[in-house]
Amino acid sequence: MNDIGEFTLLLALATALYGCVAYVMSARGNRIDLYLSADKTPIIVWACVVISSICLWKAFLTDDFSLQYVWAYSNRELDTFYKISSFWGGQKGSLLFWTLLLSTYMLVVYFQNRKKNLRVVPYAMAIMLLIVVFFLFLINFSTNPFERIPLPPEDGRGLNPLLQNYWMVIHPPTLYLGYVGFTVPFAFAVAALISKDLDDGWIRMTRKWTLLSWFFLCMGNLFGASWAYVELGWGGYWAWDPVENAAFMPLLVATAYLHSVMIQEKKDMMKVWNMSLVLLTFVMTIFGTFITRSGLIQSVHTFDEATLGYYFLAFLFVIIIACGGLIIARLPLLKSTNELDSFLSRESSFLFNNLVLLGIAFATFWGTIFPIISEAVRGVKITVGPPFYNQVNVPIGLALLALIGIGPVIAWRRATFSNLKKNFLKPVSAGIVAAVVLFPVIPLGNRTEIYTYITFVLCVFVLTSMFTEFYKGTVSRMGLHDESAVGALATMTWRNKRRYGGYIVHIGVVLIFAGIAGSQAYGTHTEKHLQIGESFEIRGYTITYEKLIAVEATNVKTRIIAQLAVERDGKRYWTGHPEKEFYKGQNQPVSEVDVLSTWKEDLYMILADFREDESATIKVYVNPMVSWMWTGGWIIAFGSMISMWPDRLEQRRRLDRVRRQEQLFPSPAQE
Amino acid sequence: MKQKKVKFLVGSLLIVSAIGYLITIGISNTSQYFFTVDELMSQKVSFAGTGMKVKGNVVNGSIQRDPDDYLNVNFLIEEKNASLKVSYQGVTPDMFIDGGEVVVEGTLGKDGVFHANTLLTSCPSKYEAEKEAGKMHPGKFPEADKYREPGLNKAEALPKTTI
Repeated sequence: MNDIGEFTLLLALATALYGCVAYVMSARGNRIDLYLSADKTPIIVWACVVISSICLWKAFLTDDFSLQYVWAYSNRELDTFYKISSFWGGQKGSLLFWTLLLSTYMLVVYFQNRKKNLRVVPYAMAIMLLIVVFFLFLINFSTNPFERIPLPPEDGRGLNPLLQNYWMVIHPPTLYLGYVGFTVPFAFAVAALISKDLDDGWIRMTRKWTLLSWFFLCMGNLFGASWAYVELGWGGYWAWDPVENAAFMPLLVATAYLHSVMIQEKKDMMKVWNMSLVLLTFVMTIFGTFITRSGLIQSVHTFDEATLGYYFLAFLFVIIIACGGLIIARLPLLKSTNELDSFLSRESSFLFNNLVLLGIAFATFWGTIFPIISEAVRGVKITVGPPFYNQVNVPIGLALLALIGIGPVIAWRRATFSNLKKNFLKPVSAGIVAAVVLFPVIPLGNRTEIYTYITFVLCVFVLTSMFTEFYKGTVSRMGLHDESAVGALATMTWRNKRRYGGYIVHIGVVLIFAGIAGSQAYGTHTEKHLQIGESFEIRGYTITYEKLIAVEATNVKTRIIAQLAVERDGKRYWTGHPEKEFYKGQNQPVSEVDVLSTWKEDLYMILADFREDESATIKVYVNPMVSWMWTGGWIIAFGSMISMWPDRLEQRRRLDRVRRQEQLFPSPAQE
Repeated sequence: MKQKKVKFLVGSLLIVSAIGYLITIGISNTSQYFFTVDELMSQKVSFAGTGMKVKGNVVNGSIQRDPDDYLNVNFLIEEKNASLKVSYQGVTPDMFIDGGEVVVEGTLGKDGVFHANTLLTSCPSKYEAEKEAGKMHPGKFPEADKYREPGLNKAEALPKTTI
């Protein structure tokens, strides 16, 4: 079985290499025979990678410890659930998992597009195969998951307890789905550049892919934050660690790209910009992988393997130079036919949104690589931490928040005073009212609190502007079609999925902004060493340490649980059970926090330590508004679903538009 | 036509330079030196009083907790034969163990003791990589069994709220 796994990996590499060359040659030389043979390779590559992955999964499920990788990340007692997820628990398996996702995406793209546009698609397939080749090369020759141990041990070393958490099962695949997904728009963009087919065809073909990848990347980031919050037990959800930044930067660039392609679709502008953004997004996903896999940048959770880092770095340089060169070579073909008219227009608000998003991405990038740069330039390693990111990104983030309120409602081309008044009277007044009402209530002692105040005011402004849009649409529909309010709202959203789905996503983003601001500014925590029966107060909660309980949960796991009574206004309100889990064979315990989450605030308890006399150290955080972030996340998911949903109406509208253009400028039919 | 282009160029430049300004100010206000223990010890200039991060491995058996104040911890970290005394006030992470790699953030006192505000340990995946490389840390963590003494309550059905 393991031999099969190893062999299929080699076969996949050879096939992908052949497919890549054959696709390019067939497109260059117009050779249909080569095309027909190349056109089978994506299926073969996919099948090989799937077989190989099944072999690895089987090794995990059958406790085959002759594989070094299985030995290192599993043991006999591990839950089946975690045996399956151990697949991507370490370096080698996660690269194979990446390849599995990439070749699956490639297969879907293949079936979607192979009968269309024969000028662009072969190149796009070749680019995707080339990227598959890179990963397969690494797997085959650098980090082979099928590496054997000559004398198989009796039992494996087991999965690190911190990774035995359901988030571990959800978070990495979600993030990978996002990372890998951007390969598709990237491949089509490069294909368009090579084939000189530079209308917005490639953007239309990959629009859904961009949305889908963005959605997964966004969810992956949020899942990562929740994982950190419930599992790592330090009371926070984001620490600006290089690995978190690695996932955050592609999300920012992708968000910029997602917005600016709309300008190209509607106005045929910003072509060079879009090309650069899609290239940058892809580069950021590879750069992120490079950070997590090279150990070059001091982080608390990298895989730490230097040689692999060089491969990624080399790959990165090749991509940047090749694609950068290609864009420059095609500059004359990328000329826009329209140009920006006025600062007060939707086009320019999108331009500013792009600059701001890239600004945050660049600040994050600069902070992440600053230690390396300072060491190279000045010989001393200088690091920046969360204060840097907060100081820089918070003001830029506020500008972004304001733009969320402005961009979607401002008029195209040039906003006149009357339509400014029409669109912004309500939101701006709501913002002013919020500013006045909140001013006496909210503490404004330091910079964080002032920023939070501004955030709340802007949130009210944006939400009003979004809800006004929904309201206006619903009312006019009700007048026209004699529908109930709910019916009109639903039909309107359903008929314009892209627009209103986008608005819903924006509402989710606003809630996340509010949640971050509230929890950063008004959080508090305390830590106490307590004897049984002792209590202390925090934010109006009285917390009493009642008892310490030991539970032998399984053969390998012992739980030590502290019971804490929480009283509020003299009444028992909740009982918290933070605990520490001890795993056999692992020399460190795992803290399991207990959280009481309400819309107002989270009460977050950690059992930091305990002693033989049953005294315990308890750390308690009060984190306001954290649940707003998770709610915002679900709203984003909902909104993305709506805007990604296949839309016949939109396809018809697009066809109409194309037909109209063709009548205006007669040209040979393209498809 | 030209005028419009210039207008947008100036507008974009303004935004870009504002962001650039924020980054520069941010770096100069918040940056910290990052040393390993041996690098810090070989510095010729005294860094007493400046904020910095120091990386090293916890010296075996050096973790001392104040018997009266459990949250007060003193320990030594070492790297390549240089060692540094660290004092830290607060809850220690799960992986703060003998031989473990830590990064402390704080200031170096005139007495040569490092006063740490934060104490970070390496994350599981890195920890795994170290173990793979053969750097097993035996660790001296309290076995849970030791605590299973008559005084402890047995389990009841525990409702647990997590999000």
